[in-house]
Amino acid sequence: MFDRRRFLGASASASGMMLAPWLQNALGAPSPGKPPMRFIFMHKGNGLFPSVLVPPSLSPADADKEQAKDAFSVDLNKHQLPDWMKPIAAHKSNMSILQGLSGKMCQTGHHTWQSSLGVYKANEKLTSIKWATVDFELARMFPSPLSHLELACFPTGGGNARGNINGIETGFSARGPQQPNLAYGSPKIALRELFKVVYNNKSDQVEYNLERKVLEFTAGKQSSLAGNLNGVERTKVANYADSVEEVRARNGRLEKMADVIRKHLPTLDAKYLADDITTVDRQRGHVEILLATLISGMTNVVAFTADELGTPYTGLNRLEKETVNLHDVGHNKGFGDLKADEVRTEVRLQHMSLINTIVTRLKVVPEGDGNMFDNTTLLYFPDNGETHHSSGVEWPFLVFTGRNTKLNIAGRYIRLPKHGKEGHKTLGNLYTTILNAYGNPIPHYGDLDLALEKMKIDQKGPIREFLA
Amino acid sequence: MPEPRPAYLRRVTQTMLQHDIPRPRPSRTSLAMLVLMTSAASTATAADPVKPFSMPKDVATVLSTYCGSCHDENGKGNVSLTQLDKLKINERLDVLNKVHEQTFFKLMPPAKSEQPGPSELAILNKWVLAELRQHNASKFDEKVTTPTGGNFVDHDLLFRGDMKDKPYTPTRRWLVNPQIYHNRVLDVFDLKGKDRATNLSGIVNPFTLPERSGVRDYDVASLDGSHFVAMQANATWVANKIVGSLRIKLGEAPDKVFPNPKDRWYPKSDNGDKKNPVKLLAPFEAILAKKTPPTDEELTAAIQFHFERALHRKAAPSELQNYQSLMRSAIELGGNIEGLRRMLIAVLLESEFVYRVELGAGTPDQFGRKQLSPAEASSAIAYALSDRAPDEPLMQAARDGRLNTKQDYEREVRRLVFSDTLLRGEIDGTLHEIYPSYSKNNISSQPKIHRFFREFFGYPLATRVFKDVERSDGYYQSPGRGTYGTPGQLIREADLFVEHCLTKDKNVFEAILTSNEFYVAPRDNAEAKIAGLNELYDRFKDTNWQIDPKTKTPPKMSDEDLSFIRKRLNYNSDARDLAVAMKHVEHFRKAGLTPHPVWSYPFHIGHLTPHANSYNLAPPTWKYPAQQPFAVDHRKGILTHPAWLIAHSENSATDPVRRGKWIREKLLAGTVPDVPITVDAVIPEDPHKTLRDRLAMATSKQECWKCHQQMNPLGLAFEIYDDFGRYRTMESLEHPSNIVAKAKAKYGADTYKTAPVVASSRLDGTGDLALDGEVKDALELIDRLAKSKRVRQSIIRHAFRYFLGRNEMLSDSQTLIDADNAYVQSGGSFKAVVVSLLTSDSFMFRK
Repeated sequence: MFDRRRFLGASASASGMMLAPWLQNALGAPSPGKPPMRFIFMHKGNGLFPSVLVPPSLSPADADKEQAKDAFSVDLNKHQLPDWMKPIAAHKSNMSILQGLSGKMCQTGHHTWQSSLGVYKANEKLTSIKWATVDFELARMFPSPLSHLELACFPTGGGNARGNINGIETGFSARGPQQPNLAYGSPKIALRELFKVVYNNKSDQVEYNLERKVLEFTAGKQSSLAGNLNGVERTKVANYADSVEEVRARNGRLEKMADVIRKHLPTLDAKYLADDITTVDRQRGHVEILLATLISGMTNVVAFTADELGTPYTGLNRLEKETVNLHDVGHNKGFGDLKADEVRTEVRLQHMSLINTIVTRLKVVPEGDGNMFDNTTLLYFPDNGETHHSSGVEWPFLVFTGRNTKLNIAGRYIRLPKHGKEGHKTLGNLYTTILNAYGNPIPHYGDLDLALEKMKIDQKGPIREFLA
Repeated sequence: MPEPRPAYLRRVTQTMLQHDIPRPRPSRTSLAMLVLMTSAASTATAADPVKPFSMPKDVATVLSTYCGSCHDENGKGNVSLTQLDKLKINERLDVLNKVHEQTFFKLMPPAKSEQPGPSELAILNKWVLAELRQHNASKFDEKVTTPTGGNFVDHDLLFRGDMKDKPYTPTRRWLVNPQIYHNRVLDVFDLKGKDRATNLSGIVNPFTLPERSGVRDYDVASLDGSHFVAMQANATWVANKIVGSLRIKLGEAPDKVFPNPKDRWYPKSDNGDKKNPVKLLAPFEAILAKKTPPTDEELTAAIQFHFERALHRKAAPSELQNYQSLMRSAIELGGNIEGLRRMLIAVLLESEFVYRVELGAGTPDQFGRKQLSPAEASSAIAYALSDRAPDEPLMQAARDGRLNTKQDYEREVRRLVFSDTLLRGEIDGTLHEIYPSYSKNNISSQPKIHRFFREFFGYPLATRVFKDVERSDGYYQSPGRGTYGTPGQLIREADLFVEHCLTKDKNVFEAILTSNEFYVAPRDNAEAKIAGLNELYDRFKDTNWQIDPKTKTPPKMSDEDLSFIRKRLNYNSDARDLAVAMKHVEHFRKAGLTPHPVWSYPFHIGHLTPHANSYNLAPPTWKYPAQQPFAVDHRKGILTHPAWLIAHSENSATDPVRRGKWIREKLLAGTVPDVPITVDAVIPEDPHKTLRDRLAMATSKQECWKCHQQMNPLGLAFEIYDDFGRYRTMESLEHPSNIVAKAKAKYGADTYKTAPVVASSRLDGTGDLALDGEVKDALELIDRLAKSKRVRQSIIRHAFRYFLGRNEMLSDSQTLIDADNAYVQSGGSFKAVVVSLLTSDSFMFRK
């Protein structure tokens, strides 16, 4: 079993000195004895309706509140979970079902681009990307060699289709204003690109070495150019040379971690590496990549698009022979012998089994006086709000938090005041809470809801009740 | 006469901005680091050890005389100036920065207190700056080269005419803007004509300009890691396209080379002429087609070919050697194809690919200045006036040695500036990134010149301010997928307004500031379209033109009728379109109006210009003028255009502070300190008060007012417009407790209690005595502004920054005076200003 602290200790003692701070950071360990926090943003296209997240065992009084969407909270351990959550039942005490958040400041509808992670109306126009998405903000707070990883089951249909779902394409996160991130579309490409430091395939090794040559050439040429300059001009070129050097250094750090990475190199069956992989296997393969990069310390933040409305679903349980069109499901079309609601349930069941895999596997990696999940937050949510044609008036979340995380919501079903009521909270409030909790003092993350503004409802800042 | 700035400030500014102290040039991304590095090189070298803290007696006397009574050891605002020696170094530097800021902006001592004389202030500030600089800690130095520090240079000194230093621009690397980067990538593929509209789907532009009113593209930005990530991905995409094109030519299947069906474009490898075939990528093809390693000559040809396209120059011998070496080692690893691919990538990762390099050449003149080389000059002129590399005549002039003298520059600048066709194109492609049909509306004969006014006034930012449709009573559409909504329409009309003024090129500033001749939903051939609709209506009004609501069957039309309809609507119009047109005309005739010619095909009925509400124009009162522009009531120039008003508003309210700050800084060459980080700038809610009153509640305290007095009076004059840009005399007190009637329509507005708008103010300290005094509202204020010499000169200062890519220094004084004179003597020609700036020493010389 891989123990990151033991690895760090071993590395330090082997070299006869304490690890340099940058190396500690690079390996995802900001300070001795204090592992980094990890964040997984797993989102899906629409189809996660608020009504399906309600525990069936609510008392009549709470059920009435639920029906009226009035605020209340109950202990999940005293309640039965909806059937489709069975795969994650073992993690009930780490889980919260969060209802009543809104996201009317986001793009809603069929496709939403970076909206649900950036809390603004993003669309296909680059200028609609206003700032870095919340996952990137967190990645900056918890640096790692890869900094951030995005995996996606890309859409091939609808208004947001990618041409090559097996390649590296524009993702759903943003590095900064007008800077969409790139995501890995298949386990195969992710494996090849992320683990090429330790990969044995000859052509991939050649490719890696060729890239190294260009980086070395560019860094050397720009450093040499900077050396002949003075003052600001020197700084301008040196800055660039340093950036290239930083990429080389990052590769170097990954190379130094080769043993660790090799140890956690996902061993994927051939079916996960095929070009005609089913959607379900693509998701499972991505989860293996996600786990390997987190556990090995290559990254601390992963954004994972489990599906988007335009993602064709293949391989679903009870629908193995069907290619499910989620848009049609959104318009209540059934597939195979299943009605639309039953298809949605199968999709969610699949997602819950993925989450179970992630949480269970992290729980068995020792870290500190506990395990890696202690320092992990996983958020599962739709990218577009409450229904197929949503307006963002609700935005349900499942949140899984480990023991050392700073959100005090585990084990609860929480319904917040509904949109328009005093005390109502938005996606922006949730992300502000998370950012504030870990030291980013931003007063409010995300755009504001103009309807709430008109009602003079305070919508800025963290949800103080959630802070541990 | 404006009050002269104290002598100490003149000296401080003059000293700081002269060439004897190199300017700190912070990066857009790592400003603090660059400042530190630059300052370290300039002011505190290793040979210049930091001196222990001590305060000269004369400084101590000034502080104790004018500041000590408040800022003693228990000082106000936790600022003690009498015991600076007891503070930790960081605390002391923080206090000294505050002292400098307060005295520079004339915020301290308070107006009612005894004021130090100019010589005393000079003593104090000279010492303060020296202290800060020896620790590289001057916040003032940090800002002075950035857009926010442009006005730090004394305005009167700049235009007084007694500055004798020769103008120059420091040698520099100026990071390309997004449009130039895009064009440089197109150049790599050697795309011409319509092919330049090719969608390069794999390119993510690494560069963005800050979204703000005012000049956006400064030479202070530096390449960094985030740029590199995008540049590396782009370079790989470009190289794969070139290599892929040749692989296809050499026999591989296109879908194997480019498996992504959405990204199958690739550059042509030959000219497609079977009779006279020309290989367009010949040097690359020679390497790829070869089974054995290429010769040195073949490598050289490929490298030079790529250098010419990407960097517009030949590789130097040492570069050739390096690139050959790279190619050889890559070929060893991956064959000829990889040797070529890696070279293609590496050239595109040269910093030179994304910097505009302006170093000057030749022997320095007696003032230590070098003139731009002819090649640099051709690029500098081209990029000042467009986003493209120099055109052929400009390059030829450089090659022929005809780009050396001021007259040479003037010849080329005039050729480009006074042409209506050479540079015609989109004003700002980045605003219209994916909707080319829409963007075609925002065209100018001089896009780069036009863009100055766009950036200066900042009205395109209207698309960034989201509005609630219901508050607008249903007419306002915020930008979203596939549309720029109402602000997109308004920006287009503001563009037309500016273009109209620029095309006339007479008293341009005055016209842009005061003309009430606006465009509202203009259409080509409007008169003919209106006539056509009327003819349709008159011909069919007594016939059975309506569609049966039950059967939804349109009436049958004769060929003659169809022909009549199609001549007036669209080439394939039918009875259904006729029905729409008839209802459209009927809608307007009922209101006693001629039908609007405004539709897209197929069109909707009736109220087709909802955005006109922002001009207080809407049926049934709006009589559409076929001739545009036309006079619009209650408007006077761009500052009363809804696009500007929305761009400088909040989501749900006006923004007098931002509007006032804009005028203070952009038109009056004034300075306003940053909001202190301790201030939570929030206007309090009070359902019974207007915004003006609530703003007063937040800003009337003395410590707030000392800054806000420079903004609020100017901005409040614009309270005669609401945040949608509509003229008003009453303000809706939009608070849930003030609703007097709920909306009836789906997206209708609730009706609130109202209060009269008060837009009058008193202006003081504008720097132009003719501007100071009582002002009734924005319309009166604008009249005064348009007559002000200071306003004219302030616009010219910003034009200097736009075309030179930097803030003006005192040594640029003659350049600015010449540009100002050019404007006045030409009867207000902005093109004359541009010619003057681009033939100035500031533009031509580097040091």
